[in-house]
Amino acid sequence: MSERSVRTTRLPQIPAVPLAIGIGILIGGLLVLASGGDPIAAYREILIGALAPANWPNTLNWAVPLVGMTLVAALPLRGGMVNLGGDGQLVIGGLVAALAALYLPLPGPLLITASILCAMIASGLYASLAAWGETRFGIPMLISTLLLSYPAIGVASYLVGFPLRDMATGLAQTRMIPDAARLPVISGPLNIGLILMIVVAIAVVFYDRRTVGGYELRMRGLNAKFAGYGGVRLASQQVRVMFASGAIAGLVGAILVLGSLYRYQDGALLTPGYTWSGLMAALLAGGAPLGAIAAGLFFAGLQTGGFAMQRETAIPRVLTMVLQAVIILFLAIRHGVGRKSS
Amino acid sequence: MTIELEATGIVKRYGPLVANDHVDLSVLRGEVHAVMGENGAGKSTLMSILYGMQQPDAGRIVLRGAEMHYRSALDAIGAGMGMVHQAFKLFNSLTVWENVVYGMEPTRFGFIDRREAARRVAALAERYRLQVDPNAVVGRLSVGVRQRVEILKALYRDARVLILDEPTAVLTPQERDGLFDIIRYLTADDRTILFVTHKLHEVMAITDRVTVLRDSKVVDRMVTSETSAREIIRAMTGRAVNLTVEKSPANPGAVVLEARGLTVATDGGKPVVDRVDLAIRAGEIVGIAGVAGNGQTELIEALTGLRISDGGTVSIHGTDVTALDVERHRDAGLAYIPEDRATTGTALAASAADNLAMGFQRKPPLSNGSLLDRNAVTSHAKTLIERFGVKIGSEQLAVGTLSGGNLQKVVVARELSHRAPLLIAEQPTRGVDVGAIEFIHGQLVAERDRGGAVLLVSAELTEILALADRVLVMFDGRILAELPAAEADEETLGLLMAGRVRDAHLTDGTEAA
Ligand SMILES: Nc1ncnc2c1ncn2[C@@H]1O[C@H](COP(=O)(O)OP(=O)(O)OP(=O)(O)O)[C@@H](O)[C@H]1O
Ligand SMILES: [Mg+2]
Repeated sequence: MSERSVRTTRLPQIPAVPLAIGIGILIGGLLVLASGGDPIAAYREILIGALAPANWPNTLNWAVPLVGMTLVAALPLRGGMVNLGGDGQLVIGGLVAALAALYLPLPGPLLITASILCAMIASGLYASLAAWGETRFGIPMLISTLLLSYPAIGVASYLVGFPLRDMATGLAQTRMIPDAARLPVISGPLNIGLILMIVVAIAVVFYDRRTVGGYELRMRGLNAKFAGYGGVRLASQQVRVMFASGAIAGLVGAILVLGSLYRYQDGALLTPGYTWSGLMAALLAGGAPLGAIAAGLFFAGLQTGGFAMQRETAIPRVLTMVLQAVIILFLAIRHGVGRKSS
Repeated sequence: MTIELEATGIVKRYGPLVANDHVDLSVLRGEVHAVMGENGAGKSTLMSILYGMQQPDAGRIVLRGAEMHYRSALDAIGAGMGMVHQAFKLFNSLTVWENVVYGMEPTRFGFIDRREAARRVAALAERYRLQVDPNAVVGRLSVGVRQRVEILKALYRDARVLILDEPTAVLTPQERDGLFDIIRYLTADDRTILFVTHKLHEVMAITDRVTVLRDSKVVDRMVTSETSAREIIRAMTGRAVNLTVEKSPANPGAVVLEARGLTVATDGGKPVVDRVDLAIRAGEIVGIAGVAGNGQTELIEALTGLRISDGGTVSIHGTDVTALDVERHRDAGLAYIPEDRATTGTALAASAADNLAMGFQRKPPLSNGSLLDRNAVTSHAKTLIERFGVKIGSEQLAVGTLSGGNLQKVVVARELSHRAPLLIAEQPTRGVDVGAIEFIHGQLVAERDRGGAVLLVSAELTEILALADRVLVMFDGRILAELPAAEADEETLGLLMAGRVRDAHLTDGTEAA
């Protein structure tokens, strides 16, 4: 409507977050209690699993793709656009990285760089396809990004299932990539993918706060009509932002393939559900990069803690998913209430 | 006379800011009571408290002898209050009639009787001579037409006490007179009107008493017939304000904006903008007069690149910009004050600094093209806030909390500071106080004298008459007539705006297109 009535708070007020987390923990605890478990023990295991120094590498390793996919969602969201196609873009990135690593005749570091770049470009282009469809033909991105995931996943699955399948194993996967193409290890499961992701995260925050493009994107998110009136070229902005978003997804795919899996394996990139955890983290922060990264890290901690808890106690790790969902629901309720009373 | 509504000791705080500071207001039954004050003085805040939309931090409201404790506007409506909001409260995706009957729909067998509702709304509009199409979607209407819808909505509810918060800001003289007839009719029926406006002649014409706010406090109460516009201004501002614009004759130069055969079609119906030709030269102010809804909004959208036209050409400084986006219009030399400050002119949730930076973000000193200099953004905002007297705590605050007039100043400040060769100003002084009108008018003339071409669209004829060197009258999508300022007067323009060319007695040198 107009003037005063549009004032909604995007970010939950600070007390809302601890409140939601508290309520989530309470409800989760009750669930554990009801199923005969010990909630204190469960939470202790989650905490240890996520935060004990010995477990940091694990948590960080899980956080790299999750925070990556958070940025994939947060970047367009900052401008009021939604990229639901993270899965497709992730798969394309992973597959292209694997193929480049297998078939490009390049020496060591060059091979890694080339594989990553190919993955980023391929995923970026695929994501900008959806943006182009909306600016050119008016196909809403909300629909097209989601729908474009299916052919990408399907084709990738076919390719590694048939023409590119590694005949040595019975699974739908490519051959192992050469050693030269593997990301250098920092320690344990951690590889330089972590550093790449930190660089990307810093770049996104910097872009948001300091650059003209970031300013224009933020203004678009707050009022697209205003941005257009002010001279922001909405169509090209949309294509550019979606390219960047897709490229980050491609990078995540490449890091997973070149850094942990060492081959493209059908389904392996999607099972952990990074895309959707990332989307939720981004939504929680209303697209604000720093908030989104914090939320992404929190979810990563929660999820790694969940694995530990499942290992140490009899409580299944879905509990952490329940926690995650409850926390989001409560924050969303706060949002809704805030909006109504304003 | 009996007291209809009395408020005592009303206090309203927004954080550190006190918007109403122990305000007392007493309104008699059957009177028209003006509430006046500069932008940000607290008028709208007080009105929304009386209407139950905001809860006061302290104070009592007594309506017809009974103390009221409103939990929401619904309680106030139930008690017979009605309000026309300065910041429209309309559902943009619904039709006019849906907006008007909302909450009080006529029903038939438990369902909304759509035909009856639309009929009633049409009848109401007819009776009060407010031209609207009940079936039009509100979001597509110009601000002037939306203003009529907002008035209709309040009238439909048949309130005992009607609050009008700047209802005439975008009405034409005819419509304003129509509204005054309605007001007289209502007060004759012993209803009470609270009237907020910045237009002194309206206060003198229609109101019985005046309460003046300054800096959130009541500073004066007057009886209209015993006071003068000058005295009211002095009470509001503490100084004398020059109401006439001083300007020398125009010195038109080269053509800056040119449109040929510009046409905007509607789905099926006849064009809203119909083969318009116009040329605006450097160093002149051209006014477009017209009753809202005669195609001015669409014409301006087509001229600025916000809307792709269906025919004709537009060029700025000789560059053909017909099919180009706003960015390229701005590159070619356009600055633009849109009529709708809340949905087009600003991002309400963004800070004043960010709002004021728009359009400057790619150039020095605010950036080097890719990196934004935040200090420059801040100091740019501070300068403009200072120069235009925007009442805001800090440039980092979101502009959504600003009063209507202050929000308008943000838009005007930004666009004027572009110093562009071409300025299109739509209702540039909508809702700003007398002091600010004086200032903005002065700035528009300065813009002209600097060699800028200014296209002014305004519902306020006095504004057009005061500023324009040449006046174009728009009627039914066409430029009906063009006349030099010397020959334009309220009466002639009024007739032309109603489409009555023959009655307007145009003299030679004036063209009826
Ligand atoms: N929701 C809010 N939050 C914070 N400040 C507010 C809010 N609403 C109003 N204000 C502030 O209160 C002051 C009074 O605002 P108000 O809208 O009542 O002014 P006004 O007299 O109606 O001015 P105008 O003539 O410009 O419409 C302004 O400084 C405004 O910024
Ligand atoms: Mg106001």
